[in-house]
Amino acid sequence: MILGLLVLHVAVCVLLAATSRRLGRNGLLVGAVPPAVTAVWAATRLGDHQPESADVAWVPGLDLAMTFRVDAFVDIMTLIVSGIGFGVFVYAYGYFAPSAAGIGRFAATLLAFSTAMLGLVWADSVWSLFVFWELTSVTSFLLIGHKNTDKPAQVAARQALMITAGGGLVLLAGLLLVTRSAGTTLISEMMPVDGATATFGAVLVMVGAATKSAQVPFHPWLPSAMVAPTPVSAYLHSATMVKAGVVLVAVMGPALGGLPTWKACGLAFGVASVFWGAIGALRHRDAKLVLAWGTVSQLGMLITLFSVGTAKAALAAVTLLVAHALFKGALFLVVGEIDVRARTRNIDELGGLARSMPIACTVAVLAGLSMAGAPPLLGFVAKEAAIKAALALEGPEAWIVGFGVIAGSVLTVAYTARFLVTVFGPGPETALAARRHALSLPAAVLGLAGLVGYAALGPLNGVLGPAAARLAGAAEVSDLHRWPGLTLDLGISAIVLALGASLGLVLSRRLGRVPVEYGARWTDASIEATMTFGRATSARLQHGSLPVYLVTMAGTAALAALPFLGYVSFDHVVAWDTPLQAVLAVAIIGAAVALSFVGTRLAAGLALGAAGIAVAAVFVVHGAADLALTQLLVEAAIVVGFVLAFGHLSRSFPRVGLRWRAVRMTVAGLGGAAVVVGLAAASRSPVAAPPLTEMATASVDEGGGSNIVNVILTDIRALDTLGEVLVLATVALGVLALARASDRPEGSAS
Amino acid sequence: MINGHAPIIRLGIRAASPFATVLGCYLLFAGHNNPGGGFAAGLVFGAVLALRTIAGFLRPTYGITLVAAGVFIVAGVALLPLLWGDLLFDQQVLSFELPLLGKVKTGSALLFDVGVAVIVVGTVMAVLDGLGAAEFAADPPAEPDHQEQE
Repeated sequence: MILGLLVLHVAVCVLLAATSRRLGRNGLLVGAVPPAVTAVWAATRLGDHQPESADVAWVPGLDLAMTFRVDAFVDIMTLIVSGIGFGVFVYAYGYFAPSAAGIGRFAATLLAFSTAMLGLVWADSVWSLFVFWELTSVTSFLLIGHKNTDKPAQVAARQALMITAGGGLVLLAGLLLVTRSAGTTLISEMMPVDGATATFGAVLVMVGAATKSAQVPFHPWLPSAMVAPTPVSAYLHSATMVKAGVVLVAVMGPALGGLPTWKACGLAFGVASVFWGAIGALRHRDAKLVLAWGTVSQLGMLITLFSVGTAKAALAAVTLLVAHALFKGALFLVVGEIDVRARTRNIDELGGLARSMPIACTVAVLAGLSMAGAPPLLGFVAKEAAIKAALALEGPEAWIVGFGVIAGSVLTVAYTARFLVTVFGPGPETALAARRHALSLPAAVLGLAGLVGYAALGPLNGVLGPAAARLAGAAEVSDLHRWPGLTLDLGISAIVLALGASLGLVLSRRLGRVPVEYGARWTDASIEATMTFGRATSARLQHGSLPVYLVTMAGTAALAALPFLGYVSFDHVVAWDTPLQAVLAVAIIGAAVALSFVGTRLAAGLALGAAGIAVAAVFVVHGAADLALTQLLVEAAIVVGFVLAFGHLSRSFPRVGLRWRAVRMTVAGLGGAAVVVGLAAASRSPVAAPPLTEMATASVDEGGGSNIVNVILTDIRALDTLGEVLVLATVALGVLALARASDRPEGSAS
Repeated sequence: MINGHAPIIRLGIRAASPFATVLGCYLLFAGHNNPGGGFAAGLVFGAVLALRTIAGFLRPTYGITLVAAGVFIVAGVALLPLLWGDLLFDQQVLSFELPLLGKVKTGSALLFDVGVAVIVVGTVMAVLDGLGAAEFAADPPAEPDHQEQE
C-alpha cells in the first residue's frame, strides 16, 4: 500500500507535468486526488497501531534500499501532510485566477512536494530520509520562486535553498556518523548510542533539523519565503516541510535522546527560537510575516519538547504538532483570502473585516484562540500538556524548559491578540472583491478541526498516546485532559492568557517601527560571498584561450600517471612481434616529429592523418580489425572537421613566444612520459589470465555473435557502452551550447 | 581554400553517398559477427552527412533530436528487460528464416547498435552545426578573418 500510494503520487505528478498547459487550473483538482486517497488511508489506519513497512532494494551490494515504515506517529504525520495537502489543493483552485501564468506547473510542483514529504515522513532508512529531505528542499525552492521573474521571489528561493539544502548536507554527515555508531541504517532499529562519534553526529543531525525547521540562527529563510503564493506558505512553510526538522528530532529521539549534547543543542535552538520568533511576530506589520515568525516560535517549542524526551513532553509535542498544523494552516488560508480579496496584507490598511468577512473572522478567531491556548480548543490541551511536562522535570532543565514554555506562551498569546485585533478590529474600511467558496471552505474545515479535536479528545487520546509512547520509548502515556481541574497548571494557563492578552492589546498600537531584518543580513552576505567566490573561481579557471585549456588538461592528465611510477618495469618488453611493427613505429614517430615542425595548418593536418593511419595499420598487424576500422573512420571524420575549421583559421600557425613554447614542450614531453609509464605499469604483472576462453564461449552462447569485440561492447559490457554514448551525447549538447553561446553579443555572457 | 560548391566535388559527393550509405548499413548489420558495429556505422553515416553538408545538399539542424532519439533507444534496450523481470541489458536473441537470405539471427544487441549509431550521427551533426558548417557551405570564406590569439 505504501509503495502503491507513492507510485500513484508520482504517476499523477508526471501526468500533471505533461499536460500542465492543457489542464491549467483544473490541474489543481487532479492533483488533489492522491493526497485525498492517502489521507483516507491514513485515517483508516489511525485506530490500529500495527506498523507496516515496505522496501525496494536499490543497490543490494551496498545495503542501499528505499525503506519505508508507518507506525502510530507516522500515521498522524501522514494525515497532516495529505489531509492539509488536499485542502491546500482545493484552496489553491480558488486562490489563483483561471488565467494565472504557470498554474499547471504549480500544480505539478506542489504534488511533487507532497510526494517528497510523504517519502520523508515514511522513510525508515536514513538514506531514503536524506533523499526525500533534499527533494523537499528542491521543490520548496521551486515553489517559493513560483513567480520566477520576480526579483524578491528569486532571492528568497535562493536563500531558502542555500540554507535548507546546505543543512541537508550537514544532516547527511550527521547521519553517516550516527549510523556508524548505531550499526544500522534503519531508524526503527537503532538502539541508544553513545560515544564521541555519536555525539558529533547527533550535533550535526540537530543542526540539519534546525535549518529545515527555521530555528535561530538559521531562521531568516522562512520569513523571506513568504513571497510564495499563500497556498505554498500554508502547506510547506507552516504545516509540513518546516515540520521535517521536528519530525527528525522526534524519530531520532529514541536513539540519540540519551546524549546530553543532543538535548542541550535541542533546548538551545528551541528556546532561542521560541523567543526570537515571538518577538519577530510582535514587530512585523505584514499579516503573513506575523504568522511566519509565529511559526518559527512554535517550531522552537516543538523542538524543545521533543528534545526533552520524556513521555509527557512527547505527548505534549505530538498534540501541539497536530494543533499547530490545524490552526496555523487555517490562519494562513484566511490571510491568503484577505490578500486575494483586499489586495493587501498590511495590518495598518486592514479594518472592519469582522463585519465584511464574518466567516473568515470566525475561523481566524477559532484558530487564533487555539494558537493562544484558550479553551475549548485543541491548542489549550496542548499547552496544558506542555506546562505539565515542564513542571514534571527536575534540575536546571526544568527551569529552562519551564521558562521557555511559559514565557513563550505569554508572547504567543500576545502576538495572537495583536494579530486578531489589528487584522479584524477597527481600522479603515477595506474594499473587498467577491467571495470564492474554494477559498473559505478549507480554512473553515481546518479552523473547526481544533474545536472538534477538543470535543473528541477521548478517541484522540487513543491516537496521540501510542504515537507519543513510540517516540518516548515508553510503554504507555497518561491521557490528555479536557479540563485539568483546579491545579497549578490551570492557574499558570490563566495567568499566561491574561498577561499575554493585555501585552498584545497594548502592543498592537505601539510597535509602529518597521522592523529591521537582523538575521537576514548575514545570510544574505554569506550567500553573496558564495556567489562572488564562484564567479572569481570560474573567471580564473575559464581563461578563454584554447591553448591554455589544452595545456592545463594535458598537464593534469599527465599527473595521473604519478601513482603508477612505482610499478614501472620494462622486463617483459620485446622489441617487436614482427618487423612490420618497427616500420610502422618509424612512420608514426616521423609523422609526429614532422607535425611539430611544420608551419602551416594544412601540413600539420596531413601529418596528423599520417600518424593516425599508421596507428590503424598497427592495429591491423595485431589482428584488431574492429579497432583499425574505427580508427580509419575517425581519421576520415577528422578530415571533414579540418576542412570546416580551416575556413575559420589562418593558413599558418601564429608565432609563439619562447617561454610559452617551453611550457608547451614540457607538457607534451610529460604527456608522452605519462603514457609510457601507464602502459609499462599496466602490462607489467597481469593479476589473472585474461578470461579469453570464457568470453569467447559466452559471446557465442549468450551474446549470439561471433565478433567478440562487438559482443563485449553491446552485451557483456553494455553498461560501459551506455555510459560512453551518453558522454558522446553530452559532448554534442556541449558543442551546440558553446556555439550558441559564442553567437551571443559581447557582454550578455557572464 | 576549399570550395564545397565546385562541381566536381558536388558530383563526387553525390556519387559516393549511396555507396557509403550501403557500406554503413553493412557495418551496422555485420557488426555482430564481423568487423563493424554501431559506432563504425555511425561514423560512416556521419561522414556522408558531413560531406553532403559541405556540398550544400543539407543543413545539419536536427543533431540534438537524433542524439535524444539514440539515447532513448539505448536506454530502452537497457531498461526494458527489467519490465519482464530479466536483468539490465539482458540479450534477446531472435532467429528466423527469411526468403533469399536463409537463416537470420539477430537480437536486441542490434537495436543497441542502432541506438549507438544514431547517437554518433547526431553528435557529428551537432558538431557540424556548432562549427557553422551550413554557413561555410553556403558562403566559403575567401580569406581567414581573424588571427588566432594566444
